[in-house]
Amino acid sequence: MNATPLLDVRGLKKVFVTRKGWPIPKVAQVRALDGVSFTVGRGEVLGVVGESGCGKSTVARVALRLSEADGGSIDFDGADVLAASKLDLRQLRRRMQMIFQDPASSLDRRQRIVDAVGEPLLVHGLATRKTVRDEVARLIDEVGLPGSALDRYPHEFSGGQRQRIGIARALALRPDLIFADEPVSALDVSVQAQILELLGRIRRERGLSFVFISHDLGVVRYFCDRVVVMYLGRVVEEGPVPEIFVEPLHPYTRLLKVSSPEPDPARAVTMTFQEGEPPSPVDPPSGCHFHPRCPKANACCRESRPQLREVSPGRSVACHYPG
Amino acid sequence: MTDAAVPLVVEGMTTSIRLQGRLHHVVRDMSFVIRPRETLALVGESGCGKSMTALSVMGLLPPAASITAGRVLVDGVDLVGADEATRESLRGDRLGMIFQEPMTSLNPVLPIGFQVGEALMRHRGLSKRQAREKARELLELVRVPAAAERLDAYPHQFSGGMRQRVMIALALACRLRVLIADEPTTALDVTIQAQVLALVADLQRCEGLGVLLITHNLGVVASVAQRVMVMYGGDVVESAPVAAFFARPTHPYSSALLAAMPRIEGGSQLQPIPGQVPPLGDMPDGCRFRSRCPLAHERCAALPPMTPVAGDPDHLVRCWARSDA
Repeated sequence: MNATPLLDVRGLKKVFVTRKGWPIPKVAQVRALDGVSFTVGRGEVLGVVGESGCGKSTVARVALRLSEADGGSIDFDGADVLAASKLDLRQLRRRMQMIFQDPASSLDRRQRIVDAVGEPLLVHGLATRKTVRDEVARLIDEVGLPGSALDRYPHEFSGGQRQRIGIARALALRPDLIFADEPVSALDVSVQAQILELLGRIRRERGLSFVFISHDLGVVRYFCDRVVVMYLGRVVEEGPVPEIFVEPLHPYTRLLKVSSPEPDPARAVTMTFQEGEPPSPVDPPSGCHFHPRCPKANACCRESRPQLREVSPGRSVACHYPG
Repeated sequence: MTDAAVPLVVEGMTTSIRLQGRLHHVVRDMSFVIRPRETLALVGESGCGKSMTALSVMGLLPPAASITAGRVLVDGVDLVGADEATRESLRGDRLGMIFQEPMTSLNPVLPIGFQVGEALMRHRGLSKRQAREKARELLELVRVPAAAERLDAYPHQFSGGMRQRVMIALALACRLRVLIADEPTTALDVTIQAQVLALVADLQRCEGLGVLLITHNLGVVASVAQRVMVMYGGDVVESAPVAAFFARPTHPYSSALLAAMPRIEGGSQLQPIPGQVPPLGDMPDGCRFRSRCPLAHERCAALPPMTPVAGDPDHLVRCWARSDA
């Protein structure tokens, strides 16, 4: 791994404005990303963990400029992503690809697989009309689908097979970095394991980096090298696997861990009734966002926002009273 | 064991569905009992027949499907073949069901208080005002904060976890004895999942509720269930007390499921199960797992019976290779 990271995200901000009501709409601001910073090394898999609404998918969308940032910077292999011109962006997007949770909704149901996977190759001039079929056949083989898949349509495939097609399409442009947004969440356990194994093999063979977004700590532990934990648009903890799961430092990471049931009655999670819903991102709590649900919270936590700081090599936490 | 003490008994239930003129069994020869305060987990992957089992018991099967054999006894009354009035009076009163996505089961244009109260007016004959009062009590029971004020709120004003609590309140409205929960927490975040499961466990202790929990998550099974049944292709392939199951998963499909699950505690490598569940029309004869099974053998062409594991009459497995005989 090189010293300079492949992707360097600093202080990223994204605010969504919602208008609700009639005749005089109430305007509310949602800070989906409130100063998010992280890096991804070359060949590294970074896990992004958190619950619905914490901003983990927004990170990927903003980094690919599917959605424009409201502040901060993104550096991809020396290039300023947020300032990139349309032309530069096209090159950058070739090198950064995305895999979605539901490949069915990202595939055109009237497009045959050979066209769906071949389209980006033609658009970016990496194949000609003559060679595109062979190229797609190679990709389809790499993701473990039979050659007969080429001329079939998305509805003829199961969920796991469609995810393989989604992966083949992401690989088509030979990217350096893949954003995988909950790529196995919709799949059954046995198929999930097949896809994780495939992603692991591709990663090794192609030396790819990943930003792997998931809410499943078990999957993250299996696939990722390092993890950032997000809560309401902020990074609350960062650290390597497995340390971050063995000894979580932020109370939220700890809550996630104790709430995730393991298939072992000896380590059954005590389903204790912890009151408190994740607060709405429209109206986040003051100070530390987590304080209303935190057992250790005091006046300081209600008033001042804890900054993410390094507590030991490679481990950072945003908490006034970590550990 | 008297039927009255056991609120739900299912005996040899087979559910079939008619597709293009052919009859396919989606649940075969299913038997189980649910006792008060007990949670029985039904585990398996998509298409294994878990939800069909629940819908069969509830009498909510789609028109193309029907129970073609066996009995479903609710408080000793057989629902199979019973007239619609009998079924109606037991369903919603003694048997309740909650689903994965509560939003699709709640009416978006009616206030929550009315929806919870409706069952009470129907089954208990309460007046509108009494139903409203009781609805408030039920919402408090499932710990919806500020229940009195939220009676007039609409489903979209609730979060996912809150909606699932409303569904539980709705199910509890009457003299519920068995709650059938079909993937009740799959759409929820883990911390909210823990809240909902804790709530159900509390209700079991206080109200003596029995629960049939349908899930694909073996972690949830280990945490809340007392007994577990693993299904594959419409057959129960293993049935055991939870401790015995995790100590000694015996059916090749059970052990494969456990080996395919990534764990927070880390450890072993993942072992995916090769292939996929065959479509209904293509199910192999005999043991339906044999097309993916590492231990498959000629004799698997005949369906193995459920046999005890290591002489334990509570731990049964349906496998020629893993049976003691």
